[in-house]
Amino acid sequence: MFAKSSSTVRKVVIFFLIAFGMMTIHSYTNWFSSIEKFADQSIRPVYWIANIPPRLGEWAGVRSTDRSVIEKENLRLKQESLIYRGQLQRMAELAAENLRLRLLLNATELLTDSILVTEVIGVSPSPKSHTLSIDRGLQDGVYVGQPILDAEGLMGQIISVYDNHSVALLMTDNTHAIPVQVLRNGMRSIAEGTSDYNNMQLRFLSPTADIREGDELVSSGLGGRFPPGYPVGSVLSIEKISGEKFLEVNVRPAAEIDRSKHLLLVFTSQDGRRNGNVQ
Amino acid sequence: MTSMRYYLIVIFSLILALVLQLIPTSAVWLPWKPNFLLLIVVGWVIFQPNQWGIGFAAFIGLLADLVFRSPLGLHVFLFVFIGAVPYLLSGWLIYFSVIHRSVLVFILIIFSEFLRNFMYSVWGAPVDYGDVPLGAISSALIWPLIDRFLLKVHKKHR
Repeated sequence: MFAKSSSTVRKVVIFFLIAFGMMTIHSYTNWFSSIEKFADQSIRPVYWIANIPPRLGEWAGVRSTDRSVIEKENLRLKQESLIYRGQLQRMAELAAENLRLRLLLNATELLTDSILVTEVIGVSPSPKSHTLSIDRGLQDGVYVGQPILDAEGLMGQIISVYDNHSVALLMTDNTHAIPVQVLRNGMRSIAEGTSDYNNMQLRFLSPTADIREGDELVSSGLGGRFPPGYPVGSVLSIEKISGEKFLEVNVRPAAEIDRSKHLLLVFTSQDGRRNGNVQ
Repeated sequence: MTSMRYYLIVIFSLILALVLQLIPTSAVWLPWKPNFLLLIVVGWVIFQPNQWGIGFAAFIGLLADLVFRSPLGLHVFLFVFIGAVPYLLSGWLIYFSVIHRSVLVFILIIFSEFLRNFMYSVWGAPVDYGDVPLGAISSALIWPLIDRFLLKVHKKHR
Protein backbone atom coordinates (compact mmCIF):
# COMPACT_ATOMS: atom_id res chain seq x y z
CA MET A 1 0.00 0.00 0.00
CA PHE A 2 2.71 2.46 1.07
CA ALA A 3 4.96 1.35 -1.79
CA LYS A 4 2.15 2.11 -4.22
CA SER A 5 1.54 5.56 -2.68
CA SER A 6 5.19 6.56 -2.73
CA SER A 7 5.66 5.48 -6.35
CA THR A 8 2.39 7.24 -7.29
CA VAL A 9 3.50 10.44 -5.57
CA ARG A 10 6.82 10.23 -7.42
CA LYS A 11 5.01 9.81 -10.76
CA VAL A 12 2.63 12.68 -9.95
CA VAL A 13 5.54 14.99 -9.07
CA ILE A 14 7.34 14.09 -12.33
CA PHE A 15 4.23 14.77 -14.41
CA PHE A 16 3.63 18.05 -12.52
CA LEU A 17 7.16 19.16 -13.40
CA ILE A 18 6.59 18.21 -17.04
CA ALA A 19 3.21 20.02 -17.08
CA PHE A 20 4.61 23.21 -15.51
CA GLY A 21 7.58 23.07 -17.87
CA MET A 22 5.21 22.85 -20.84
CA MET A 23 3.06 25.72 -19.52
CA THR A 24 6.13 27.91 -19.06
CA ILE A 25 7.42 27.12 -22.55
CA HIS A 26 3.92 27.75 -23.97
CA SER A 27 3.70 31.12 -22.20
CA TYR A 28 7.06 32.47 -23.30
CA THR A 29 7.87 30.80 -26.65
CA ASN A 30 6.26 29.56 -29.88
CA TRP A 31 7.99 26.18 -29.77
CA PHE A 32 4.71 24.25 -29.63
CA SER A 33 2.98 26.15 -32.43
CA SER A 34 3.75 23.52 -35.09
CA ILE A 35 2.40 20.75 -32.83
CA GLU A 36 -0.74 22.79 -32.14
CA LYS A 37 -1.23 23.43 -35.86
CA PHE A 38 -0.82 19.75 -36.64
CA ALA A 39 -3.36 18.88 -33.92
CA ASP A 40 -5.82 21.50 -35.24
CA GLN A 41 -5.56 19.92 -38.68
CA SER A 42 -5.92 16.36 -37.38
CA ILE A 43 -8.92 16.83 -35.09
CA ARG A 44 -11.18 18.28 -37.77
CA PRO A 45 -13.07 14.96 -38.19
CA VAL A 46 -13.84 14.95 -34.44
CA TYR A 47 -15.31 18.46 -34.71
CA TRP A 48 -17.28 17.33 -37.76
CA ILE A 49 -18.74 14.39 -35.79
CA ALA A 50 -19.47 16.65 -32.80
CA ASN A 51 -21.45 18.92 -35.11
CA ILE A 52 -23.80 16.13 -36.22
CA PRO A 53 -26.24 16.32 -33.24
CA PRO A 54 -26.89 20.10 -33.65
CA ARG A 55 -27.36 19.59 -37.42
CA LEU A 56 -29.77 16.75 -36.78
CA GLY A 57 -31.61 18.97 -34.30
CA GLU A 58 -31.89 21.71 -36.92
CA TRP A 59 -33.05 19.23 -39.54
CA ALA A 60 -35.66 17.74 -37.17
CA GLY A 61 -36.79 21.27 -36.24
CA VAL A 62 -37.37 22.16 -39.90
CA ARG A 63 -39.12 18.83 -40.63
CA SER A 64 -41.45 19.16 -37.66
CA THR A 65 -42.35 22.80 -38.29
CA ASP A 66 -45.86 23.38 -39.56
CA ARG A 67 -46.14 24.47 -43.22
CA SER A 68 -48.14 27.59 -42.25
CA VAL A 69 -45.31 28.66 -39.88
CA ILE A 70 -42.76 28.29 -42.70
CA GLU A 71 -45.01 30.29 -45.04
CA LYS A 72 -45.31 33.06 -42.43
CA GLU A 73 -41.53 33.04 -41.92
CA ASN A 74 -41.01 33.22 -45.67
CA LEU A 75 -43.36 36.18 -45.95
CA ARG A 76 -41.59 37.98 -43.09
CA LEU A 77 -38.18 37.38 -44.68
CA LYS A 78 -39.44 38.70 -48.04
CA GLN A 79 -40.70 41.86 -46.34
CA GLU A 80 -37.41 42.25 -44.46
CA SER A 81 -35.47 41.77 -47.69
CA LEU A 82 -37.57 44.49 -49.34
CA ILE A 83 -36.89 46.90 -46.46
CA TYR A 84 -33.14 46.17 -46.53
CA ARG A 85 -32.97 46.61 -50.30
CA GLY A 86 -34.62 49.98 -49.89
CA GLN A 87 -32.10 50.92 -47.18
CA LEU A 88 -29.26 49.64 -49.39
CA GLN A 89 -30.32 51.99 -52.18
CA ARG A 90 -30.13 54.86 -49.70
CA MET A 91 -26.70 53.60 -48.56
CA ALA A 92 -25.50 53.42 -52.16
CA GLU A 93 -26.52 57.02 -52.65
CA LEU A 94 -24.68 58.04 -49.45
CA ALA A 95 -21.60 56.02 -50.44
CA ALA A 96 -21.49 57.70 -53.83
CA GLU A 97 -21.83 61.11 -52.20
CA ASN A 98 -19.10 60.23 -49.70
CA LEU A 99 -16.81 59.14 -52.55
CA ARG A 100 -17.42 62.41 -54.40
CA LEU A 101 -16.61 64.41 -51.25
CA ARG A 102 -13.44 62.39 -50.66
CA LEU A 103 -12.33 62.95 -54.23
CA LEU A 104 -12.97 66.66 -53.76
CA LEU A 105 -10.75 66.54 -50.66
CA ASN A 106 -8.10 64.49 -52.53
CA ALA A 107 -8.57 61.80 -49.89
CA THR A 108 -7.99 58.10 -50.45
CA GLU A 109 -10.56 56.18 -52.43
CA LEU A 110 -13.48 54.84 -50.45
CA LEU A 111 -12.81 51.24 -49.59
CA THR A 112 -15.41 48.72 -50.62
CA ASP A 113 -15.45 45.35 -48.90
CA SER A 114 -16.37 41.96 -50.31
CA ILE A 115 -17.71 39.09 -48.28
CA LEU A 116 -17.68 35.32 -48.31
CA VAL A 117 -20.31 33.28 -46.46
CA THR A 118 -18.96 30.61 -44.11
CA GLU A 119 -20.40 28.13 -41.63
CA VAL A 120 -19.29 27.38 -38.07
CA ILE A 121 -18.10 23.75 -37.83
CA GLY A 122 -16.74 23.72 -34.30
CA VAL A 123 -16.72 25.73 -31.10
CA SER A 124 -14.12 25.60 -28.34
CA PRO A 125 -15.62 23.67 -25.40
CA SER A 126 -13.66 25.68 -22.86
CA PRO A 127 -15.56 28.66 -21.37
CA LYS A 128 -12.24 30.50 -21.12
CA SER A 129 -11.11 30.12 -24.73
CA HIS A 130 -13.43 31.83 -27.19
CA THR A 131 -12.47 30.33 -30.55
CA LEU A 132 -14.44 28.65 -33.32
CA SER A 133 -13.68 26.72 -36.48
CA ILE A 134 -15.19 27.65 -39.84
CA ASP A 135 -15.47 25.68 -43.09
CA ARG A 136 -13.33 28.00 -45.24
CA GLY A 137 -9.56 27.87 -45.53
CA LEU A 138 -6.58 28.61 -47.74
CA GLN A 139 -8.42 27.36 -50.82
CA ASP A 140 -11.00 30.13 -50.34
CA GLY A 141 -8.38 32.84 -49.86
CA VAL A 142 -8.83 33.11 -46.09
CA TYR A 143 -5.83 34.63 -44.30
CA VAL A 144 -4.63 35.23 -40.75
CA GLY A 145 -6.02 38.45 -39.30
CA GLN A 146 -9.08 38.47 -41.56
CA PRO A 147 -12.18 39.89 -39.86
CA ILE A 148 -15.33 37.80 -39.52
CA LEU A 149 -18.82 39.07 -38.78
CA ASP A 150 -22.37 37.85 -38.45
CA ALA A 151 -25.58 39.58 -39.50
CA GLU A 152 -25.41 41.91 -36.47
CA GLY A 153 -21.78 42.95 -36.24
CA LEU A 154 -18.10 42.03 -35.93
CA MET A 155 -17.34 38.64 -34.36
CA GLY A 156 -13.53 38.44 -34.34
CA GLN A 157 -10.62 37.55 -36.56
CA ILE A 158 -8.92 34.52 -38.11
CA ILE A 159 -5.91 33.23 -36.17
CA SER A 160 -5.05 29.98 -38.03
CA VAL A 161 -5.73 28.92 -41.60
CA TYR A 162 -5.63 25.37 -42.99
CA ASP A 163 -6.47 23.96 -46.41
CA ASN A 164 -10.21 23.59 -45.88
CA HIS A 165 -10.92 25.21 -42.54
CA SER A 166 -9.79 28.05 -40.28
CA VAL A 167 -9.84 28.97 -36.62
CA ALA A 168 -11.16 32.35 -35.49
CA LEU A 169 -10.56 34.17 -32.22
CA LEU A 170 -13.75 35.85 -31.00
CA MET A 171 -13.87 39.45 -29.79
CA THR A 172 -14.99 38.28 -26.35
CA ASP A 173 -11.85 36.20 -25.73
CA ASN A 174 -9.83 37.81 -22.98
CA THR A 175 -6.75 37.99 -25.24
CA HIS A 176 -8.58 39.97 -27.93
CA ALA A 177 -8.77 43.75 -28.32
CA ILE A 178 -10.29 45.89 -31.05
CA PRO A 179 -9.97 49.64 -31.71
CA VAL A 180 -13.44 51.20 -31.65
CA GLN A 181 -15.07 54.59 -31.83
CA VAL A 182 -18.33 55.94 -30.44
CA LEU A 183 -20.72 56.44 -33.34
CA ARG A 184 -22.30 59.52 -31.69
CA ASN A 185 -19.15 61.62 -31.27
CA GLY A 186 -16.24 59.69 -32.86
CA MET A 187 -14.42 59.22 -29.53
CA ARG A 188 -11.85 56.43 -29.82
CA SER A 189 -11.15 53.60 -27.39
CA ILE A 190 -10.19 49.94 -27.25
CA ALA A 191 -12.73 47.19 -26.52
CA GLU A 192 -11.28 44.13 -24.82
CA GLY A 193 -12.79 40.68 -24.34
CA THR A 194 -13.59 39.45 -20.84
CA SER A 195 -14.16 35.70 -21.42
CA ASP A 196 -17.90 36.43 -21.19
CA TYR A 197 -19.85 35.98 -24.44
CA ASN A 198 -22.14 38.89 -23.56
CA ASN A 199 -19.64 41.41 -22.26
CA MET A 200 -16.59 43.40 -23.35
CA GLN A 201 -14.87 46.32 -21.64
CA LEU A 202 -13.58 49.66 -22.86
CA ARG A 203 -10.13 50.44 -21.54
CA PHE A 204 -8.52 53.65 -20.34
CA LEU A 205 -11.49 56.00 -20.51
CA SER A 206 -11.12 58.92 -18.14
CA PRO A 207 -14.05 59.94 -15.90
CA THR A 208 -14.51 63.06 -18.03
CA ALA A 209 -14.95 61.09 -21.28
CA ASP A 210 -18.13 61.84 -23.22
CA ILE A 211 -19.71 58.41 -23.15
CA ARG A 212 -23.25 57.35 -22.24
CA GLU A 213 -25.13 54.13 -21.70
CA GLY A 214 -26.60 52.96 -25.01
CA ASP A 215 -23.87 54.55 -27.16
CA GLU A 216 -23.22 52.51 -30.30
CA LEU A 217 -19.61 51.47 -30.96
CA VAL A 218 -18.17 50.73 -34.39
CA SER A 219 -14.72 49.58 -35.49
CA SER A 220 -12.45 52.59 -35.96
CA GLY A 221 -10.15 50.95 -38.50
CA LEU A 222 -7.07 52.04 -36.55
CA GLY A 223 -4.31 49.46 -36.68
CA GLY A 224 -5.46 48.37 -40.12
CA ARG A 225 -6.70 44.96 -39.05
CA PHE A 226 -10.44 45.62 -38.91
CA PRO A 227 -12.18 47.69 -41.58
CA PRO A 228 -13.81 50.84 -40.18
CA GLY A 229 -17.52 51.29 -39.60
CA TYR A 230 -18.66 47.78 -38.63
CA PRO A 231 -20.87 47.52 -35.50
CA VAL A 232 -19.00 46.21 -32.45
CA GLY A 233 -21.53 46.70 -29.65
CA SER A 234 -23.34 49.14 -27.42
CA VAL A 235 -22.45 50.55 -24.01
CA LEU A 236 -24.27 48.56 -21.35
CA SER A 237 -23.11 50.25 -18.15
CA ILE A 238 -20.61 52.85 -16.96
CA GLU A 239 -19.15 52.73 -13.46
CA LYS A 240 -16.81 55.05 -11.67
CA ILE A 241 -14.90 52.97 -9.16
CA SER A 242 -13.45 55.00 -6.33
CA GLY A 243 -9.65 54.91 -6.27
CA GLU A 244 -9.47 53.93 -9.95
CA LYS A 245 -8.17 56.36 -12.57
CA PHE A 246 -10.38 55.08 -15.37
CA LEU A 247 -14.05 54.29 -15.87
CA GLU A 248 -15.30 50.71 -16.02
CA VAL A 249 -17.35 50.62 -19.21
CA ASN A 250 -19.16 47.39 -20.09
CA VAL A 251 -20.15 46.75 -23.68
CA ARG A 252 -22.66 44.26 -25.02
CA PRO A 253 -21.37 42.85 -28.35
CA ALA A 254 -23.62 43.55 -31.34
CA ALA A 255 -22.93 40.10 -32.86
CA GLU A 256 -24.64 37.01 -31.53
CA ILE A 257 -21.28 35.60 -30.55
CA ASP A 258 -22.41 32.28 -29.08
CA ARG A 259 -25.38 31.66 -31.39
CA SER A 260 -24.52 32.60 -34.98
CA LYS A 261 -23.92 29.62 -37.26
CA HIS A 262 -23.44 31.38 -40.59
CA LEU A 263 -20.78 34.06 -40.68
CA LEU A 264 -19.23 36.41 -43.21
CA LEU A 265 -15.54 36.71 -43.99
CA VAL A 266 -14.65 40.27 -44.93
CA PHE A 267 -12.24 40.92 -47.80
CA THR A 268 -11.34 44.59 -47.87
CA SER A 269 -10.32 46.06 -51.22
CA GLN A 270 -6.79 46.42 -49.81
CA ASP A 271 -6.48 42.67 -49.42
CA GLY A 272 -6.09 41.83 -53.08
CA ARG A 273 -7.09 38.33 -52.14
CA ARG A 274 -10.42 38.05 -53.90
CA ASN A 275 -11.14 34.98 -55.89
CA GLY A 276 -14.09 33.55 -57.77
CA ASN A 277 -15.97 32.55 -54.63
CA VAL A 278 -16.08 36.00 -53.14
CA GLN A 279 -19.44 37.66 -53.50
CA MET B 1 -9.36 -11.34 -29.38
CA THR B 2 -10.86 -10.39 -26.05
CA SER B 3 -8.01 -7.98 -25.34
CA MET B 4 -8.46 -6.42 -28.79
CA ARG B 5 -12.16 -5.87 -27.99
CA TYR B 6 -11.25 -4.43 -24.61
CA TYR B 7 -8.88 -1.85 -26.13
CA LEU B 8 -11.50 -0.96 -28.73
CA ILE B 9 -13.98 -0.29 -25.91
CA VAL B 10 -11.46 1.98 -24.17
CA ILE B 11 -10.72 3.90 -27.40
CA PHE B 12 -14.41 4.15 -28.26
CA SER B 13 -15.25 5.47 -24.77
CA LEU B 14 -12.54 8.15 -25.06
CA ILE B 15 -13.65 9.23 -28.56
CA LEU B 16 -17.28 9.36 -27.42
CA ALA B 17 -16.31 11.48 -24.39
CA LEU B 18 -14.30 13.81 -26.65
CA VAL B 19 -17.16 14.20 -29.13
CA LEU B 20 -19.66 14.87 -26.31
CA GLN B 21 -17.27 17.47 -24.91
CA LEU B 22 -17.01 19.19 -28.30
CA ILE B 23 -20.73 19.38 -29.12
CA PRO B 24 -21.46 23.12 -29.47
CA THR B 25 -23.34 24.46 -26.45
CA SER B 26 -24.86 27.89 -25.92
CA ALA B 27 -23.15 30.21 -23.42
CA VAL B 28 -26.07 29.79 -21.01
CA TRP B 29 -25.66 26.00 -20.79
CA LEU B 30 -21.86 25.85 -21.13
CA PRO B 31 -21.13 25.98 -17.36
CA TRP B 32 -23.59 23.06 -16.90
CA LYS B 33 -21.79 20.85 -19.41
CA PRO B 34 -20.41 17.73 -17.69
CA ASN B 35 -16.68 17.17 -17.96
CA PHE B 36 -17.08 13.98 -20.02
CA LEU B 37 -13.39 13.46 -20.73
CA LEU B 38 -12.33 13.77 -17.10
CA LEU B 39 -15.22 11.51 -16.04
CA ILE B 40 -14.15 8.73 -18.40
CA VAL B 41 -10.50 9.06 -17.31
CA VAL B 42 -11.50 8.90 -13.62
CA GLY B 43 -13.76 5.94 -14.46
CA TRP B 44 -11.01 3.89 -16.12
CA VAL B 45 -8.60 4.73 -13.28
CA ILE B 46 -11.15 3.58 -10.67
CA PHE B 47 -12.13 0.34 -12.38
CA GLN B 48 -8.90 -0.68 -14.16
CA PRO B 49 -6.09 0.95 -12.17
CA ASN B 50 -3.57 -1.69 -13.24
CA GLN B 51 -3.96 -0.81 -16.91
CA TRP B 52 -4.88 2.89 -16.73
CA GLY B 53 -3.01 4.97 -14.17
CA ILE B 54 -1.28 8.32 -13.88
CA GLY B 55 0.52 8.08 -17.25
CA PHE B 56 -2.80 7.44 -18.97
CA ALA B 57 -4.34 10.50 -17.23
CA ALA B 58 -1.35 12.61 -18.33
CA PHE B 59 -1.65 11.41 -21.94
CA ILE B 60 -5.39 12.18 -22.12
CA GLY B 61 -4.66 15.57 -20.48
CA LEU B 62 -2.19 16.33 -23.27
CA LEU B 63 -4.80 15.29 -25.84
CA ALA B 64 -7.32 17.61 -24.13
CA ASP B 65 -4.83 20.50 -24.29
CA LEU B 66 -4.38 19.99 -28.04
CA VAL B 67 -8.09 19.55 -28.78
CA PHE B 68 -9.37 22.37 -26.54
CA ARG B 69 -6.56 24.75 -27.64
CA SER B 70 -5.67 25.45 -24.02
CA PRO B 71 -2.09 26.20 -22.92
CA LEU B 72 -0.12 22.95 -23.28
CA GLY B 73 0.37 21.37 -19.88
CA LEU B 74 -2.77 22.77 -18.22
CA HIS B 75 -4.92 19.67 -18.68
CA VAL B 76 -1.91 17.42 -18.10
CA PHE B 77 -1.62 19.01 -14.66
CA LEU B 78 -5.38 18.83 -13.97
CA PHE B 79 -5.86 15.25 -15.17
CA VAL B 80 -2.80 13.97 -13.29
CA PHE B 81 -3.89 15.76 -10.10
CA ILE B 82 -7.47 14.53 -10.31
CA GLY B 83 -6.50 11.07 -11.62
CA ALA B 84 -4.07 10.52 -8.73
CA VAL B 85 -6.85 10.57 -6.10
CA PRO B 86 -8.93 7.65 -7.48
CA TYR B 87 -5.69 5.86 -8.38
CA LEU B 88 -4.56 5.93 -4.74
CA LEU B 89 -8.04 4.91 -3.54
CA SER B 90 -8.71 2.45 -6.37
CA GLY B 91 -8.40 -0.65 -4.17
CA TRP B 92 -11.31 0.53 -2.01
CA LEU B 93 -13.45 2.54 -4.42
CA ILE B 94 -14.57 -0.53 -6.30
CA TYR B 95 -16.41 -1.72 -3.15
CA PHE B 96 -18.18 1.59 -2.59
CA SER B 97 -21.74 2.14 -3.78
CA VAL B 98 -22.41 4.11 -6.95
CA ILE B 99 -23.76 6.99 -4.81
CA HIS B 100 -20.49 7.20 -2.87
CA ARG B 101 -18.54 7.20 -6.11
CA SER B 102 -20.86 9.95 -7.46
CA VAL B 103 -20.08 12.06 -4.39
CA LEU B 104 -16.36 11.52 -4.97
CA VAL B 105 -16.77 12.50 -8.64
CA PHE B 106 -18.63 15.64 -7.58
CA ILE B 107 -15.80 16.63 -5.23
CA LEU B 108 -13.12 15.81 -7.84
CA ILE B 109 -14.82 17.84 -10.59
CA ILE B 110 -15.38 20.81 -8.26
CA PHE B 111 -11.70 20.67 -7.35
CA SER B 112 -10.67 20.36 -10.99
CA GLU B 113 -12.83 23.34 -12.07
CA PHE B 114 -11.54 25.40 -9.16
CA LEU B 115 -7.94 24.57 -10.14
CA ARG B 116 -8.61 25.32 -13.82
CA ASN B 117 -10.10 28.73 -12.93
CA PHE B 118 -7.21 29.43 -10.60
CA MET B 119 -4.69 28.59 -13.34
CA TYR B 120 -6.49 30.86 -15.80
CA SER B 121 -6.53 33.66 -13.20
CA VAL B 122 -2.74 33.25 -12.91
CA TRP B 123 -2.59 33.97 -16.67
CA GLY B 124 -4.67 37.11 -16.06
CA ALA B 125 -7.98 35.81 -17.44
CA PRO B 126 -11.14 36.96 -15.68
CA VAL B 127 -12.72 34.00 -13.88
CA ASP B 128 -16.09 33.35 -12.29
CA TYR B 129 -15.89 30.85 -9.44
CA GLY B 130 -19.71 30.90 -9.21
CA ASP B 131 -19.91 28.54 -12.21
CA VAL B 132 -17.63 25.95 -10.60
CA PRO B 133 -20.33 23.75 -8.93
CA LEU B 134 -22.62 23.66 -12.00
CA GLY B 135 -20.44 21.36 -14.11
CA ALA B 136 -19.72 19.24 -11.03
CA ILE B 137 -23.45 18.74 -10.36
CA SER B 138 -24.18 17.64 -13.94
CA SER B 139 -21.07 15.44 -13.96
CA ALA B 140 -22.15 13.72 -10.73
CA LEU B 141 -25.67 13.24 -12.16
CA ILE B 142 -24.47 11.43 -15.28
CA TRP B 143 -21.78 9.47 -13.42
CA PRO B 144 -24.09 6.49 -12.59
CA LEU B 145 -24.42 5.78 -16.35
CA ILE B 146 -20.64 5.78 -16.85
CA ASP B 147 -20.21 3.81 -13.61
CA ARG B 148 -22.61 1.12 -14.78
CA PHE B 149 -20.93 0.81 -18.16
CA LEU B 150 -17.40 0.64 -16.73
CA LEU B 151 -18.44 -1.79 -13.99
CA LYS B 152 -19.73 -4.15 -16.68
CA VAL B 153 -16.45 -3.90 -18.58
CA HIS B 154 -14.52 -4.39 -15.33
CA LYS B 155 -16.44 -7.58 -14.49
CA LYS B 156 -15.74 -8.99 -17.96
CA HIS B 157 -12.09 -8.05 -18.19
CA ARG B 158 -10.67 -8.13 -14.64
